[in-house]
Amino acid sequence: MSKNIGLIGRRNYLLKQNPRIEELKISFKIFFTNPTAVAGFVITLLYFIDIILVQFFPSFIGISDPNRYIYNFNNPVPLPPSSSHWCGTTAGGIDLCDAIIKSIRIDLIYSLFIVIVGAIIGLLLGLVSGYLGGIFDEILMRITDIFFSIPYLVLAIAILFVLGVSLENIAFSLIIVWWPLYARYARAQTLSIKQMTFIESAKASGTRDLMIMFKHIVPNVLPPIFVQISLDLGTVVGVFATLAFIGFSPTANIPELGYLTSLGLNYISIAPWSVIIPGLVITVFALAVNLMGDGLRDVIDPKRRSV
Amino acid sequence: MANVIIAAYNLKKYFPVGGFLFSSKQTIKAVDDVSIKIKENEVVGLVGETGCGKTTLGKLLIRLIEPTAGEIFFDVPEEIIVEYEEALKNKDTKKIEKISKRYSFLNKKGGELRRMRRYMNIVFQDPYSSLNPRMLVKDIIAEPIISTGYASKKEAEELVFKLLEEVGLTPEFAFRYPHELSGGQRQRVALARGISTLPKFLVLDEPTSALDVSIQAQILNLINEIRKKYSITILFISHNISVVHYMSDRIAVMYAGKIVEEGYKNSIIFDPKHPYSKALISSIPRPEPMREKIIINLQGEIPNLINPPKGCRFHPRCPVAFEECGWTADEVFQDIEYIIMRRYAEQFNGIKRIYIEDDFTISVEYEGKNLIEEKLKEVLNKEKQELRSLISIKNIKSESTKIKIELYKFVEPEMYKSKDGINVRCLLYREKK
Repeated sequence: MSKNIGLIGRRNYLLKQNPRIEELKISFKIFFTNPTAVAGFVITLLYFIDIILVQFFPSFIGISDPNRYIYNFNNPVPLPPSSSHWCGTTAGGIDLCDAIIKSIRIDLIYSLFIVIVGAIIGLLLGLVSGYLGGIFDEILMRITDIFFSIPYLVLAIAILFVLGVSLENIAFSLIIVWWPLYARYARAQTLSIKQMTFIESAKASGTRDLMIMFKHIVPNVLPPIFVQISLDLGTVVGVFATLAFIGFSPTANIPELGYLTSLGLNYISIAPWSVIIPGLVITVFALAVNLMGDGLRDVIDPKRRSV
Repeated sequence: MANVIIAAYNLKKYFPVGGFLFSSKQTIKAVDDVSIKIKENEVVGLVGETGCGKTTLGKLLIRLIEPTAGEIFFDVPEEIIVEYEEALKNKDTKKIEKISKRYSFLNKKGGELRRMRRYMNIVFQDPYSSLNPRMLVKDIIAEPIISTGYASKKEAEELVFKLLEEVGLTPEFAFRYPHELSGGQRQRVALARGISTLPKFLVLDEPTSALDVSIQAQILNLINEIRKKYSITILFISHNISVVHYMSDRIAVMYAGKIVEEGYKNSIIFDPKHPYSKALISSIPRPEPMREKIIINLQGEIPNLINPPKGCRFHPRCPVAFEECGWTADEVFQDIEYIIMRRYAEQFNGIKRIYIEDDFTISVEYEGKNLIEEKLKEVLNKEKQELRSLISIKNIKSESTKIKIELYKFVEPEMYKSKDGINVRCLLYREKK
């Protein structure tokens, strides 16, 4: 009897209203009532659409070679925006519109990689150190203190000098600089969740520590970490471009926003657009992602949810 | 013979005070030298004030926290327990070690302990924080079944629906999240989880105090039903004596980390022996408005468990405390200082200083010869009624320029057998030699 009710009830219930879907609906509702967050979301979305187009359908938006800039040595001095060059050109006669569309891809993909890998490393270490506590916790926190005490850009440059110049190494050095932030954050969240009674009752049920960490603590730590990722993405794009701008971009002719900005540097007094426009692309992205992150933060705020 | 489900001896739990680097040697003595024995199918109620260590004791018994010292046996034949108690009495260390090695619950580790968790569980007070907000009810209930290896994942699913029915919830609840349930429903889920592996021993840590009164009764009756059906042994922790009286067979009263009285529920409720239990039980509201009530109001506060009072821990608040109850010089010193320096200051202006000589002597230095000794004796005698610590003054001696006040040495109370099968930790009931 109970068997039948159980299985049928289960299926019917899942079909009718899945609580996870209900939760999602509330989340969407909270997010989309916040206009700035929606604006941020739309702009971020445009950047990502750009990446997909450049990666998979370059000819669709009229890009012949997505992996390098096309020089026009007939006219190497920057030209102002006009009908033939919407954003003008920069040194070497590179069309800025075309170049920016190509460049966004590398910056964003690398930044996303940096933030996500940094978050995973930080989450795991923070989780273990917060959960186990004791000497391990103490050592890890002192290590993060060391990282925090050195300005991150300086540290990243130092690492890059050791490793040599390449895009992968920029990403690698930024991961090294970025994980302590997430480790701190995950540890703090773990410490507060560890105190909850449901962890104790899981222990009383004989659940292994590893299961407690991944089944009970991680699902409760992840939402704030996601918000942190979305807030950080803007910063990391900026830092990545900065490193490329000051000369850690490997060889010339890789479409990357920081390098693109640096191209116009010699002409900044006669052709300011060649620096301002690529710079603005980075800034707008950082702003959009931040606005979106703020909206996401509202979504996971229990006070907003209960209303 | 029936098995003894839980037998704990001289259990201690001291929590260190302070942080990692600056930790002092001080400890909070949350549970101090507690022995408790619960037989099969028994319900033992544990009552006491907030912060007296009830919950800590409950968690210690199922090893949710590890004791600082002591011994716990879980589900051991009664012969062994009798043998062990005898060995304890005769201080037969060889035998104690032998029994401990074989039967001690504290020796279980890793996988063995996890499998044993099947036979015990705990239900917490607050159903709002004891269920993971991000897990479905079915996963919450199935967790102990799967992690203790009681049944496979597939069987667990079927069991969950059976358990939901058992606690009076419909199967649809399996696919809800905790925040979609009311307090009573949550506590039912917590209970279903508690009995999901058919445990032998269940600790109920104030299972009803977070619920409103109408639901409390429902949950209590549900607990009773389940207990009878599956013959579960229960430790029922609560500060509500009426609820404990309704639920349990035996009652233990706890005060400041020690069990002060223990016995059958009716003997304790209708004729408590320990002065603390008397005060506690006199505070229960009874539905008899015409009956004359004597409520004993206790003075003072719950003692600080970092430095608990010596001797009987209840003596500073006890209305019938006498000479040997645990008074020490620093307690008496405060009262004497109050008398000499403030209350009767104008009579004692010859006194230079008062200080503690050792644990049981206080010295008073004075100038001149104006019969201070006689006056002091008279005043101290007069104040005995109000300041109970002055009872412990043994004699007052005069030495050249100072008066020595000597105190009685205190006696640490043990569990004494009283009538009606009550064991009580109070010197009033110690056997006369």
